[in-house]
Amino acid sequence: MRQGWYVALMLGLIPIQTTVLDYVNIAGVRPDLCLIAAFLAGFLIGEAPGALTGMTLGFLQDLFSAGQLWINVLIKGIIGLLGGVFGRHLANATAVSVVSMLFILSALSSSVFGVWFHGGNRPDILTLMQASIIPQALYDAALGGLLYWLVPHRRGRRDEFVDEITLFGR
Amino acid sequence: MLRSLTGPTRLILLLLALLLSIIFLLPKQTRDVLQTVGHPAAYVIALPLEALASVNRSVAELWQEYVALRQVREDNRQLRRDLDVLRKQNSELREMAVASQRLAALLEFKAQFSPPTVAAQVIGRDATNWYRSIIVNKGERDGVRTEMGVMTPAGVVGRVVKTGPSTSVVLLVTDPNNAITGIVQRSRDEGIVEGTPQGRARIKYLPLLSSVKVGDTVVTSGLAGGFPRGVVIGAIQSIEKEEGELFQTAEVLPEAELSKLEEVLVITATRPSNGTEPMRNGAQR
Repeated sequence: MRQGWYVALMLGLIPIQTTVLDYVNIAGVRPDLCLIAAFLAGFLIGEAPGALTGMTLGFLQDLFSAGQLWINVLIKGIIGLLGGVFGRHLANATAVSVVSMLFILSALSSSVFGVWFHGGNRPDILTLMQASIIPQALYDAALGGLLYWLVPHRRGRRDEFVDEITLFGR
Repeated sequence: MLRSLTGPTRLILLLLALLLSIIFLLPKQTRDVLQTVGHPAAYVIALPLEALASVNRSVAELWQEYVALRQVREDNRQLRRDLDVLRKQNSELREMAVASQRLAALLEFKAQFSPPTVAAQVIGRDATNWYRSIIVNKGERDGVRTEMGVMTPAGVVGRVVKTGPSTSVVLLVTDPNNAITGIVQRSRDEGIVEGTPQGRARIKYLPLLSSVKVGDTVVTSGLAGGFPRGVVIGAIQSIEKEEGELFQTAEVLPEAELSKLEEVLVITATRPSNGTEPMRNGAQR
């Protein structure tokens, strides 16, 4: 079942990101579904699946973007991994905590793009923050929080963790 | 913190660190490997992408053509197409006239030609928010290669930056990472047309003494960028002359409507195939 979801995610997310999301853009800003998926995969399932999901989605995203082929592989991989680390260490995960973490991670990843990879004639960082980074982070965080709230089995990971404790006595 | 991580997580961390090292130590090889791996992946993703784009287009057309004023819209569209074609012809004729006036006495000037093109449909926009690019449904199988110019009958759209077997990514002329050599049609001043962070275009490095003025048409110079000479880029909207600067810059409004692109033409060669070798990327005979 989980494999089926992964395949659907891999095949469906990029087409949705490149076509349908144009209709929900706000002032030219669209949510980054790959970032949200990578984070939630890490947060709900664990670091390793999160990082792998992030790297795969990032790679597919790079294939259909004008940027270098490795940027999103790394960034989304790291986001998936961090999602997993947050998920492991957060005692009481709520939609609010997911929103806050997604906001921070989205802003950080956008800053990496904006500051280091986006050509020589980019605007100054404050303009970039106002025009792209903050709106993008807000959009990603809101949509990610909503998706987390809608996911029915969001406590699955904690159960796995409890199983581990039972098994290894930690 | 590392101690608390499980075996697979440590492996993933190691993998990410290794990937980062390889990317920075061997950038070209990494890109080649990722491109090789990416081809089949792009081919697979292109199938649902084209299907979704087709559904998207159908729904959009249904909405636009049946709910909105159907006949008026169709007429309007046809008239716009005709206008675009006439604009292109007008620009070509002007370009020919200016060039013939200047060069006719010196050499046998060859008539402006229509470059060989491949028609492609726009099936999506960039997968990130950081580049202004479009995805088209023609790729390497159709003869599309990177650095080829892309246009509509109205004017320049951008250039191909990435190709898959059946899709390509086209960086728009309004992206700050794009640069095309342009020439002001009336004054014959050359400059570099590039995108701005605000999503517009501008022509840089115009001489300070240039007589360029608002409304002048900017066309491709044919020196670089996969375009033949004389394809319309846009019209000058404003001119910036800063004190102490060696050059002036002008804002250009692209002639092609980049936010509503549906079909584009990929220029597969920038010279006519009359027995001479086709030339690309600004190579001059």
